[in-house]
Amino acid sequence: MFSLSTFLDAFWPLTLAARYTLLVSGLGIALGLVIGAFVCVLALSKSRAARTVAALWVSYLRGVPMLVQLLVVFFLLPVIGINVPAIVAAVVTTAIVASAYISEIWRGAILALPRGQTEAAIAIGMRPRDTWTRIILPQAVALSIPQLINELILLVKASSLVSVVGVMEITRASQAQAGVTFRPLEAYLAAACLYLVINLCLAALGRWLEHRMAV
Amino acid sequence: MVEASSVEIRKVNKYYGDFHALKDIDLSIPPGKVTCLIGPSGSGKSSLLRCINFLEEYDSGEVLIDGKLIGYETPGGRRMSRRKLRQMRSTIGMVFQQFNLWPHMTAQENVAEGLRRVRGLRKAEAMERAAQALDRVGLSDRMANHPARLSGGQQQRVAIARAVAMDPRLMLFDEPTSALDPELVGEVLNVMKALAAGGMTMVVVTHEMGFAAHVADQVAFLDAGELVGVDAPARILREPEDPRIQSFLRTYHERNVI
Ligand SMILES: Nc1ncnc2c1ncn2[C@@H]1O[C@H](COP(=O)(O)OP(=O)(O)O)[C@@H](O)[C@H]1O
Ligand SMILES: [Mg+2]
Repeated sequence: MFSLSTFLDAFWPLTLAARYTLLVSGLGIALGLVIGAFVCVLALSKSRAARTVAALWVSYLRGVPMLVQLLVVFFLLPVIGINVPAIVAAVVTTAIVASAYISEIWRGAILALPRGQTEAAIAIGMRPRDTWTRIILPQAVALSIPQLINELILLVKASSLVSVVGVMEITRASQAQAGVTFRPLEAYLAAACLYLVINLCLAALGRWLEHRMAV
Repeated sequence: MVEASSVEIRKVNKYYGDFHALKDIDLSIPPGKVTCLIGPSGSGKSSLLRCINFLEEYDSGEVLIDGKLIGYETPGGRRMSRRKLRQMRSTIGMVFQQFNLWPHMTAQENVAEGLRRVRGLRKAEAMERAAQALDRVGLSDRMANHPARLSGGQQQRVAIARAVAMDPRLMLFDEPTSALDPELVGEVLNVMKALAAGGMTMVVVTHEMGFAAHVADQVAFLDAGELVGVDAPARILREPEDPRIQSFLRTYHERNVI
């Protein structure tokens, strides 16, 4: 029999654990945006070497499962003398994986802008810096919002993977809850509800941003 | 009105890879006059126009604005510094077939942008000057609109205001009315006629033979990268000697009879 009270009781510990889910995916995307911007600059560079580095970065991170990368980072860091808590390894992995997808999102958005947008700026005598900050980036960022929100939702879901290195986020907390109550169905259903609520909120945020930035 | 520029094009050649797009072009564009570039599609009109502000680099020859070489330090020599090039471009206005307005800015912000970033005006002053420029093209009631909320004719007039607000001494137009619905062509041509009457040097790539016939001081005909002829519009459009011009005009008239 499904126990409603066990189901409801599961929410409090899981909500506490949700802070780690949000921390890993939130910090992951924030750092991912920064690293992704840097990778995107390399990918669009005139230098062939820079483009190769970006291509390798992107294809490795997109080609290897995130769980495997997480384990590599988690076990690699101590080997090279860096001893950090599991949460740090989780954030780092999430950020670099996100950076690969984000750099591609931005590269696509920048290349999608009509050539005439830059030409109009060049013809008027604008500096490259102003052309980027005033003409290209505002449009590319607005264009990429839906995909960035999509990426963030994927990261929230993917953050369940970091349970394997011991971070007490929603998924691991629901496993613990199931172990204590011997009622796995209630615990995992509560976890599912929490993920759903978080991601519906993010989707709503995305629609709001998209609407606000629409020209 | 600031003084108008002259343009001297001497033995200009341009290649796209192996393709010879401009062949030994010689053309004098006198100050304060309107020069129309006509010719079949693919003949090199846009390429030539874009060499004048070095949006397209030419491979040999000279393009002189008021006697000053653009793009290179010396003929066939090193590239000129990007700063000097930007400085020269800022006195040359350009209007594109697709308008190329910046969609994330209002009409007024579009016009003010160059004044702020290139001329270094403060925001309030740039917006004020932008308002005046938009007023001159008859758009004082559309200043707060984004381009997407304007008709094609209005967008192109904003684009002209954006160029004119910079006080250029030379204006380049690349088929400014080709993307417009027929009923919107007139409003854009009227703005251009007013500019011409004000003594602006203008180089206009166009398929509007009426404009070329009535507004141009000289018409240059290009075919397959060659400058076939330059003359007063009455002569080149009414009694062309070259068979290539005759055949081009015949096709044009046949298409416009229906
Ligand atoms: N960026 C480019 N790369 C390769 N070929 C080009 C490029 N731009 C123009 N061309 C070619 O050069 C020729 C002249 O083009 P263009 O100057 O645009 O002609 P027009 O404006 O008279 O139609 C055409 O054959 C065109 O295909
Ligand atoms: Mg053309």
